[in-house]
Amino acid sequence: MLLPSFDYYRPQSLPEALSLLGEMGEDARPLAGGTDLLVNLKLKKLAPKVLLDLGGLEELKGNRADDGLVSLGALDTASRLASGGPEVPGLLAMGAGALGSPQVRNRATLGGNLVTARPAADICLPLLALGAKAVLAGPNGEREVALDGYFKGPGYTVKEAGEILTRVILDAPRPGVGGGYQKLGLRQAMEIALVNVAAHLELEDDGKTVALARVALGAVAPFPMLSPGAASALIGKPAQETCFSEAAEAAAAEARPIDDHRGSAAYRRDMVRTLTLRALRQALSQAQGNQEAQA
Amino acid sequence: MSKQAIILTVNGVARQALVEPNQTLTSLLRDELGLTGTKHGCGVGDCGCCTVILDGETVNSCLVLAMQAQGREVTTIEGLAKGAELHPLQQAFVDAGAIQCGFCTPGMILSAKALLDHTPQPTREEITKGLSGNLCRCTGYEKIVEAVQDAAGKMSEA
Amino acid sequence: MSGNFEVIGSRAPRKDAPNKSTGKARYIEDIKFPGELAGALLQSPQAHAKIKRIDISRAQALPGVVAVITAQDVPDVKYGVSPARYDETLFAVDRVRYVGDEIAAVAAEDLATAQRAVEFIEVEYEPLPVLLTVEQATAEGAPWLHEQFPDNVCAQVEQEFGDVEAAFAGCDLIQEGSFFSKRQDGAFIEPNQCVALMDSDGVLNLHSSTQVPHYVQRTLAMVTGLNMSKVRVVKPYVGGGFGPKASATPIDLAAGFLAMKTGRPVRMAYTREQVFLFSRARHGFTHHMKIGVKKDGTLMALDHRATLDGGAYSSFGIATVYYAGSLLGGPYKLPNMRYHGLRVFTNKPACGAQRGHGGVIARALFEQQMDVIAERLGMDPIELRLKNMMETGDVTCNDLAMSSLGMRECIEAVKNGSGWDQKKGKLPKGKGIGMACGFFVSGAGYPIYRSETYHCTIMIKADEDGGGIVVYTASAEIGQGSETTMAMIAAEAVGIPYEQVRVKSGDTDFGIDLGAYSSRTTLMTGHATKEAGENLKAMILETLAQELEIDQSRLDIKNGLIKISGDPVDFSAIRIGYIKEHRGWQDQPSGDELTFREAARLAYLRRGTLVSTGKYKPPVLGGKYKGAAVGTSPAYGCSAQVAEVSVDFETGQIKVERITDAHDCGQAVNLTSVEAQMQGSVSMGLGEALFEEVKFDGQGRILNPSLGEYHIPTVMDMPETKCIVVESGEPNGPFGAKEVGEGAIMPTIPAILNAVRNATGLVLDETPLTPERVYLAIKKQKGA
Ligand SMILES: Cc1cc2nc3c(=O)[nH]c(=O)nc-3n(C[C@H](O)[C@H](O)[C@H](O)COP(=O)(O)OP(=O)(O)OC[C@H]3O[C@@H](n4cnc5c(N)ncnc54)[C@H](O)[C@@H]3O)c2cc1C
Ligand code: FES
Ligand code: FES
Repeated sequence: MLLPSFDYYRPQSLPEALSLLGEMGEDARPLAGGTDLLVNLKLKKLAPKVLLDLGGLEELKGNRADDGLVSLGALDTASRLASGGPEVPGLLAMGAGALGSPQVRNRATLGGNLVTARPAADICLPLLALGAKAVLAGPNGEREVALDGYFKGPGYTVKEAGEILTRVILDAPRPGVGGGYQKLGLRQAMEIALVNVAAHLELEDDGKTVALARVALGAVAPFPMLSPGAASALIGKPAQETCFSEAAEAAAAEARPIDDHRGSAAYRRDMVRTLTLRALRQALSQAQGNQEAQA
Repeated sequence: MSKQAIILTVNGVARQALVEPNQTLTSLLRDELGLTGTKHGCGVGDCGCCTVILDGETVNSCLVLAMQAQGREVTTIEGLAKGAELHPLQQAFVDAGAIQCGFCTPGMILSAKALLDHTPQPTREEITKGLSGNLCRCTGYEKIVEAVQDAAGKMSEA
Repeated sequence: MSGNFEVIGSRAPRKDAPNKSTGKARYIEDIKFPGELAGALLQSPQAHAKIKRIDISRAQALPGVVAVITAQDVPDVKYGVSPARYDETLFAVDRVRYVGDEIAAVAAEDLATAQRAVEFIEVEYEPLPVLLTVEQATAEGAPWLHEQFPDNVCAQVEQEFGDVEAAFAGCDLIQEGSFFSKRQDGAFIEPNQCVALMDSDGVLNLHSSTQVPHYVQRTLAMVTGLNMSKVRVVKPYVGGGFGPKASATPIDLAAGFLAMKTGRPVRMAYTREQVFLFSRARHGFTHHMKIGVKKDGTLMALDHRATLDGGAYSSFGIATVYYAGSLLGGPYKLPNMRYHGLRVFTNKPACGAQRGHGGVIARALFEQQMDVIAERLGMDPIELRLKNMMETGDVTCNDLAMSSLGMRECIEAVKNGSGWDQKKGKLPKGKGIGMACGFFVSGAGYPIYRSETYHCTIMIKADEDGGGIVVYTASAEIGQGSETTMAMIAAEAVGIPYEQVRVKSGDTDFGIDLGAYSSRTTLMTGHATKEAGENLKAMILETLAQELEIDQSRLDIKNGLIKISGDPVDFSAIRIGYIKEHRGWQDQPSGDELTFREAARLAYLRRGTLVSTGKYKPPVLGGKYKGAAVGTSPAYGCSAQVAEVSVDFETGQIKVERITDAHDCGQAVNLTSVEAQMQGSVSMGLGEALFEEVKFDGQGRILNPSLGEYHIPTVMDMPETKCIVVESGEPNGPFGAKEVGEGAIMPTIPAILNAVRNATGLVLDETPLTPERVYLAIKKQKGA
């Protein structure tokens, strides 16, 4: 399969990249791991004149922890995220580890996943549930955008053409916080989810009461979505089956699935319920586990 | 944009090539460097038969631009055997009967190599996870898993 | 079973494996010719339309374009698979019948230019009603896809053996069920490709990724109007076939025409999407069965109706629709059987043959119904099967002769191997165990075209120095290991070590071989190879006997050594002669036995280059009724499998945890290769059972033409598979061998279905068993 013709640039700094992007406007596309972009070029869905390889930009690399927050570089690959590390929340590692195949994970980046914004994106869901913010650098400097509100449609976000996603910022992993990730597909690998759910739970010091919760749903809306109803069914309640079931019901009610050849809306809605419940159980056991480990 | 010269290390040897911006790493290896052991089954990351090792990690070379290999180290299936002596993984694949049509084999062996480089004594689960990006329609994978187990054992004895 | 074999039955490493493990093995994409042009196809974006106008002028004007051809530029010759159903033309003449139907081809200096030129060809279409289902295609007033096939009926079969109605009247229990399966894709990992070029002898050479060089040669010759001797087809290594590569492709033919027109080599390759568009893979089947039994479980009668959604052309379909019926004749004693089969044309890519040709879904439903019957009778499903099982020597009601049948042994093997008795009925909720049986031909009894042709011919040439032999065969190594199998058979027949045999295959210049389909190669090409090997041995021993002045019956060759019975014989003159000829060599023959090397050298010195030949065609097989040929074979392989599954009741997900598989291959030529075929069959069956489905939108476009969205199993989806090889010794097979390549897939789907039923109580009637289908069925069951 042939790639169409394009020019290739590899800027060495973010300012250089931004100015190239500014000059060329819509004709240029940033290239990170290429696992979405190059496929789309081959399938003739896109035909940019220029690819701007972000691989040389130090500003987009490396993870930093600082003052209870972590900042993850846009070029972090799914493989590196999946292998964890002190800055990487367990939930994100689970999502990244469920993406594609080893070869794809070795190339696919966090930034590419957030910009492509597939409805079932395996890195977007955990980040959304973790309350992360994307840092977008543009001609007029940087802005931080909460992911809740960042997604607009499949492949469509608040990021503007002249902007580059440099990093995401989120709370550092800490005791009493846990995540659960559930992905349903046909195969055990190489699957875009039929439905996926990421759940994030923060417990009070009592180890029982839910202080904060977010449930993100994939493949049931035009883009990864949060279920506010699930969150409010949980917050302030004792973390246990009753409120988990209510949260799962709320998530199922709020999901906006459609029928397509991969599955029916009705099935997807039922699966949101099941997977939310499972993700919450998983999140609770992780939260309690690391709280005990701390104690 | 015209062709550009790139320098990279392929199977331990520094190589130079003139490549088009829209040339993939698969095409660089196969068409420019004559390394046709890297196969082409889909072009979009779905099958894994174009797998090579790039700086220690497996990638689908059909989704890497040749220019992105500038300055980097690539291992292809041709880089495993030492002369006539097969790499232990290759030998294990031959011995176990893990090869039928052989079209998936180069990619499969390279995925197995990257796995064993990182995890010399993998469990069955780690093996299946490590090979999950390489489709094989012929073997049902059983003998491939056996071959990797066998090679892991032999390589750790050595 | 194993006789006294030196090579047969071993685990000799495959001849091709070292090259395949190092990347040295060459497939079409690795073979380059100087001056190659790149070809590209224009395929219809419409599923059904009249072609009003084609304008190629813009394409022709594009710099770099060397030739553009359409229906106007090629002879108006119809081709296909079965001569009775030739219904394809290379390029659409006035009508396109599916999305992907070929309209034109371009040859250009490079692929990008060829592809651009294709986009520059203007076609004006007049849309016709699009018929995507059997119901639409057979509805009143539906347009006919082909004038010569009224009502879109490609083929209709009516057969009755015995008296089905009378038998039902005497039955104690009648069981009825239906099944619906989806169109599959071959999903071989190497997409079809080819290079065509004219050589200096005026021969059109086609190098193609095919299973059937001979049929491709015939089709190419017929369509181009060339003599067979002016067309040569060469098959290098092939990255899998499984059926869909068992006929000439439009790119084989288009590349041939373009090479003739341009005088340059022309390369054409399908993209993965085009592989799906070409298809020729498993049909979608609908089956209804009514089965009658006696109280004691004796099977009495089967009434069977099958409908096949065939796609736009016949391809293998006529054989498929017959196989779907005939392969239920066994392996159970079934005295009365009626079959009504119907294959219908629709505006989708043509379906053809795929591993287990025609029989897989019929087998799935029948074996599922056997389990239901067992339960209704209060019998163990294994007991019911054993009660009705045929024995070696039995002939089915439709005249298929079971010259060997290790079915009982297979059943016992999987029963013990899986721990059936400890598990059946004792598994925790959500887990299930199920079993099924099946059988398949060891090569179709007749060629696809009517002919008395040999099905295969073999030439063996001994090296002039006696060092080894070369087997020349036109048979097709496509990954199944046939080169290795022929090397082993030749080694055994001649009496030399496996290492001394080289095999050259896949070239129509080497002779006749019908190719790799219907699991024929081991038995048929194996027979011819054995015969050629024995002939070579006889030639060598004849010369040796004359030289030694003894009776030839005292001589034999074993493991590279000449065995002389009776009194010692002085062969020193031969040895001295050999040694003198080879001064300077370090490995002179020694020891007190004469070697093959010396004997073969001697024979060369006395008679010139030693070439022996072998040939095979099956005897006249089968009954006299219409369609009696389909299903006939000199032998049948058979198998039993036990599947163990777990079912997630909340999502509908099924995990196959273990498969225990026993197959009777008569005699394993290569044990490793037999297991490999069994494991490969299980994975294809598992994919069909759980995941695989080619889907279409309302316009007849494929929704999932990629290996990302058409799901074949990954390594993580495969259960551990335990293989048990049963050897019943097939009298009609070379050294007792028969098939394993396709029979092994037969029980997989029903074993999984039966295990899922055991876990859930559900009789599911539609594959693939996607989580959604299973979940909905569970929900319905709960509601009921
Ligand atoms: C075989 C296969 C399987 C896959 N399976 C999965 C899966 O299971 N789950 C899943 O979620 N995804 C999957 N994907 C999709 C893909 O791998 C992911 O979306 C990946 O995260 C994309 O990252 P990338 O670095 O490759 O992006 P690229 O392809 O490089 O870029 C994607 C898009 O983002 C833009 N972009 C990238 N980085 C930036 C940046 N920093 N700033 C601005 N714009 C940017 C590009 O211009 C482009 O438009 C799969 C892909 C393949 C080929
Ligand atoms: S060819 Fe690269 S993954 Fe299939
Ligand atoms: S051996 Fe044929 S695809 Fe793996």
